[in-house]
Amino acid sequence: MKPRRIIEVGLPRFLAWCLLGFLFVPILVVIPVALTDRDYLSLPQDGVSMQHFAALADWSKGWLPSMLTSAGIALACAAIATALGVAFAVGAWAAGGWWPSLMRILLLSPMIVPPIIYAVGMVKLWARLSLLDSYTGVVLVHVVLALPLTVLAIGASLSNLDQRLVQAARSLGARPMTVFGKVILPNIVPGVAAGALLAFVASWDEITVTLFITGRAVVTLPRRIWTSIQDAVDPALAAIATVLLVVTVLALVARALIEHRQQMRKS
Amino acid sequence: MALLVIDDLAKTYDKVTALTGINLSVEAGEFVTLLGPSGSGKTTLLMSLAGFTTPSKGTISLDGKDITHVDPEDRNFGFVFQGYALFPHLTVANNIAFSLRVRKWEKARIAARVSEMLSLVGLDNLAERKPRELSGGQQQRVAIARALAFGPRILLLDEPLSALDRMLRETMQKELKRLHRETGVTFVYVTHDQEEAIAMSDRIAVFNHGRIVEIGPPRDLYKKPSTRFVAGFLGENNFLTGHRADDDETAVEAFGTRFGFPLAKGRERPGDSLTVWVRPEDIRVGQATGDEIGFRATVVENSFVGALERILLRTATGEEIVATLRSEAAIAAVPGQTIDCRIAPSAIGVLPNEAKGS
Repeated sequence: MKPRRIIEVGLPRFLAWCLLGFLFVPILVVIPVALTDRDYLSLPQDGVSMQHFAALADWSKGWLPSMLTSAGIALACAAIATALGVAFAVGAWAAGGWWPSLMRILLLSPMIVPPIIYAVGMVKLWARLSLLDSYTGVVLVHVVLALPLTVLAIGASLSNLDQRLVQAARSLGARPMTVFGKVILPNIVPGVAAGALLAFVASWDEITVTLFITGRAVVTLPRRIWTSIQDAVDPALAAIATVLLVVTVLALVARALIEHRQQMRKS
Repeated sequence: MALLVIDDLAKTYDKVTALTGINLSVEAGEFVTLLGPSGSGKTTLLMSLAGFTTPSKGTISLDGKDITHVDPEDRNFGFVFQGYALFPHLTVANNIAFSLRVRKWEKARIAARVSEMLSLVGLDNLAERKPRELSGGQQQRVAIARALAFGPRILLLDEPLSALDRMLRETMQKELKRLHRETGVTFVYVTHDQEEAIAMSDRIAVFNHGRIVEIGPPRDLYKKPSTRFVAGFLGENNFLTGHRADDDETAVEAFGTRFGFPLAKGRERPGDSLTVWVRPEDIRVGQATGDEIGFRATVVENSFVGALERILLRTATGEEIVATLRSEAAIAAVPGQTIDCRIAPSAIGVLPNEAKGS
């Protein structure tokens, strides 16, 4: 390789790999840590052990129930936030005018207000409505937090849709529900799916507000992790991180495969 | 009785008047064009017919029944949109079948109707394509087939050819005429292109500033316009100022000559100014014979535009007019020369001066 080529191609490539390393190596470290044979956070010393993964599967340790709790809450939150997001985004798109823009700012406010302030407010409100430490209370709070994400994702896919499709469908005899089901929805499926996924992840990850409004009854996974960090640094944390990492990678690979297959079908 | 009757329709947005005093009857099977410059209200009227715009005043009736406030989905009018508005997620066949599925037709009947529509517009082999895989002209045909599939009595078309290039536009004009003939559906067609309107319509309603200025068959509007706006909007025209002769109420003086014209009795006083128009293709070169109107004019410019030459002439009154001549007749028209010109008396028009109010 000529020196000039090293500077023009080799150096940027090297820097890119360094950057990727900086992003990924700390994440990958959790894998050996999860396999440690000790009962504190460390690298394996006298060989690898699966004991911490076994602990995750052990119902009485509390990891599995909290994962199910989180999954349930996140699914409910994704379903409600997506339904509301579609309703608002489609309504605003079809109506046009000044009020949808105003409503959009209002809906996006949970993204703007710091979660800690929102949390303090919710504690007061939920205490009065006796929704503290209840599944309903957590789901509702997560829905509010996820709504901006679904509205943005669905709104983005609607902005590419020709408004006259609605008029076209109506002139062909379609009533509002048919227009929605047969014309609008099929054209915004990618946005709806992205919105649902974002809402699920937002709820799955949520810790700040959840810490304030839950106690013993509702223990989400982030809350369980938080508690375990306060007690002692349990290597089970690394095992959980590893599981989440593997699930995420599998999801990304699956997505890439599906996209690839669709591309193949098109051509 | 007329199929569609529009009675004293008006539409105002806040303080802007988009339409006012619209009266129009459309007979079954007619091809009516709403022609006018942009913002003249023609599209607002079409949208009111489709039910997408609610008129502020007046009524629309179909077969004598008031449909002014009927929802678009219950009107059973076909609509062809500017830019087509095809359903991007559906194939050509499913786009055409949309209205039939909504109407819950049986499967076999839908399939038969879809293939009938496909062959009507000549797209039999493209049934399984998506709209984005089609050319503009093909999308246009799908849009028409989709709008005709359920057998509407009226097809509304909003500038359907404006996105196509010139060659394709002429082909599609013929195609639309053929579809109109073969289906017998009533067409209400909006365009700002006067050539298109003249080539296709049974009748044209010319719009300006939210009103219908004139309405009639293309030939009548072209040959005998009764307003200066229509005389200028349909085809090319020369406008000149003239006045009533002092001594004769059936004579007009203009561009340095005098000719007889049956002016409305008692409307003009001696010397009243008038607008005189003459189409470029009606001006000929040579000595006037018989009852032709002769005048002398100086050639200013001579430009070749293909089959015809465009000659810019200056009349004795100093006004400039355009004449289109066949090339062999234009040989005499050398710039700088003063030549004899003639016009058949039937080709000249005189309108009262609108500035004084008519």
